Amino acid sequence: MSFLNSYIYYIGAFGLILIGLYIILVKHNLIKVIIGLGILDTGVNLFLISVGYITKGTAPIFSRSGIDSERMVDPVPQALVLTAIVIGVAVLALALSLAIRLYQHYGTLNLRKIREQKW
Amino acid sequence: MVNPVLLIAVPLGLAFAIPVLSLFSKRIAKFVPPIALSFNLIVSMLLLPKVLEIPLIVSIGGWRPPFCINLVAGPLGVLFSAIIALVGLLVSIYALDYIKEGATEKYHMLYILLLTGATGVVLTGDIFNLFVFFEILCISSYALVAYLRERSGIESAVKYLIQGAVGSSLLLIGIGLLYGLFGTLNMADIAQNIKSASPVSVFVPMVLIITGLGVEAAIFPLNAWLPDAHSSAPSSISAILSGIAIEIGLYAVARVIFTIFGAQSFLLFLALLGILTLLVGEMCAFSQNNIKRMLAYSSIGQIGLILFALAIATSYGVTSGLFQLVSHTLSKALLFLATGYMIYQTGSLQISDLEGMGKKMPLACLAFTVGAFSLVGLPPFIGFPSKFLIIRAALATKETYFCVLIGLALLGTVIEAGYFFRVVQLLYFKGGKINPGPKEAPVTALIPMFIFVVLIVVVGVYPKLVTDVLNSAASELLSRTEYIKAVLGSIL
Repeated sequence: MSFLNSYIYYIGAFGLILIGLYIILVKHNLIKVIIGLGILDTGVNLFLISVGYITKGTAPIFSRSGIDSERMVDPVPQALVLTAIVIGVAVLALALSLAIRLYQHYGTLNLRKIREQKW
Repeated sequence: MVNPVLLIAVPLGLAFAIPVLSLFSKRIAKFVPPIALSFNLIVSMLLLPKVLEIPLIVSIGGWRPPFCINLVAGPLGVLFSAIIALVGLLVSIYALDYIKEGATEKYHMLYILLLTGATGVVLTGDIFNLFVFFEILCISSYALVAYLRERSGIESAVKYLIQGAVGSSLLLIGIGLLYGLFGTLNMADIAQNIKSASPVSVFVPMVLIITGLGVEAAIFPLNAWLPDAHSSAPSSISAILSGIAIEIGLYAVARVIFTIFGAQSFLLFLALLGILTLLVGEMCAFSQNNIKRMLAYSSIGQIGLILFALAIATSYGVTSGLFQLVSHTLSKALLFLATGYMIYQTGSLQISDLEGMGKKMPLACLAFTVGAFSLVGLPPFIGFPSKFLIIRAALATKETYFCVLIGLALLGTVIEAGYFFRVVQLLYFKGGKINPGPKEAPVTALIPMFIFVVLIVVVGVYPKLVTDVLNSAASELLSRTEYIKAVLGSIL
């Protein structure tokens, strides 16, 4: 049980990453693939947060007295995740706008049917 | 003293000024990229002699490394930023007339962002910052591939985006694992502590990071997006993607392997991958009927050759790899620019439709020929000294492994000569249909092509012009301890 308690976030994060990868590799519908990308992003973000997390930790605010520095969580991964979320939003927005264009051209979002470009 | 931060800050500021400027006049937007990039070129040229003596470390936010995000303007970084600015400037002059349709101001904004991302990747000394700049580069190139809004462009942009997004997620997982191991994101600091961790726990992030970067660098099993994306983008963007974007991916791979991980044993595997990439690329290029796909596959081949040369990991090897990289950037950008107007005039991407163009567009065809001969490695052009140095470096190792691989690389070059000579022969020595119309490209396209041709010939005749800079850039890649000392020197 203690194993589960201390590693639950990592298990969750890699679970999400694997689900995302599975969706991207297996699904035929572009919208589902984009959802997979979103899940993959979420998994990576959760992983980054859990790298710096301490159980029952608090925010690292030094100006306020009474907070034990031992219990402060690492703020760097949180800054990274903020950046990564913004990047993820940009990629998803671009992907969705491309999906709209793709539908206008081909009349379908099934990636198995859209294969004009080949080796 | 010029601050290297300006290399990133000024183009970024100008890029975001474009939407505001285009409120007043639609015609201003296209003159902003040449201004931004000539500024970058001048600053890089001013910095270059200084950083050859001692690398400049810029700390941002007033903290000392490793607590701040820092820029490392060493010979390698500044050399790359100069090349990016030079090629970017010439291609942006070409684009003045070439890009007429669509939302041109968005094109020019994304174009500057792409090159700013590339400059940031080569200058940064912080691995997460590298990821951020890499994403700026990638996202703007996804959008630019789809710029023409044609069927093929959209389809290949979707493919590129999905593969690129998965690649950058892997890269981010790798960075997260490294942060978990060492508690720092500074590349020099990680490099210093890398020995303290167990080899297995370092190996996993290394593989993840190299796979993530390898998608953008188009290393063999990860390059399915490249021929589609490079062939359906507008030609000016193909020139930048082939000439700069994949090279930046390769730079990042080299930086991660040499500086951060110092993984000597991994290099043999990369040399093999490089040769595989080379052979696959050249063989696919040989069988293409579409001229831009042929050039795109040829880029894959050249990337493989550069990767092989870097993986030799001797001073000769890395110098020759960087030389080949410069030579590929100049030649391939020239080829795409020349092809751009041939396609524009004939309205066809098929190689067979280019018959007899040598008489109708003599200057553009001459430029194409110079680029093709240079890539194959004929003597008066820049491709000759670079390929010669690679062969010499491989033979100088006196290891059977590298000697066999360089033999395979020469086989690849023969295939390459085969398809390039076929096109050149078709341009000049076939009669062709009598279709009226094809005129010479406009002056704004001919000037950049002319400058590329001059550079290719001058450096090809007198390679000493660049070898000194390349030598110190190579030694920056190879000497990890020097790099660590330069960044963290004040603390140690």
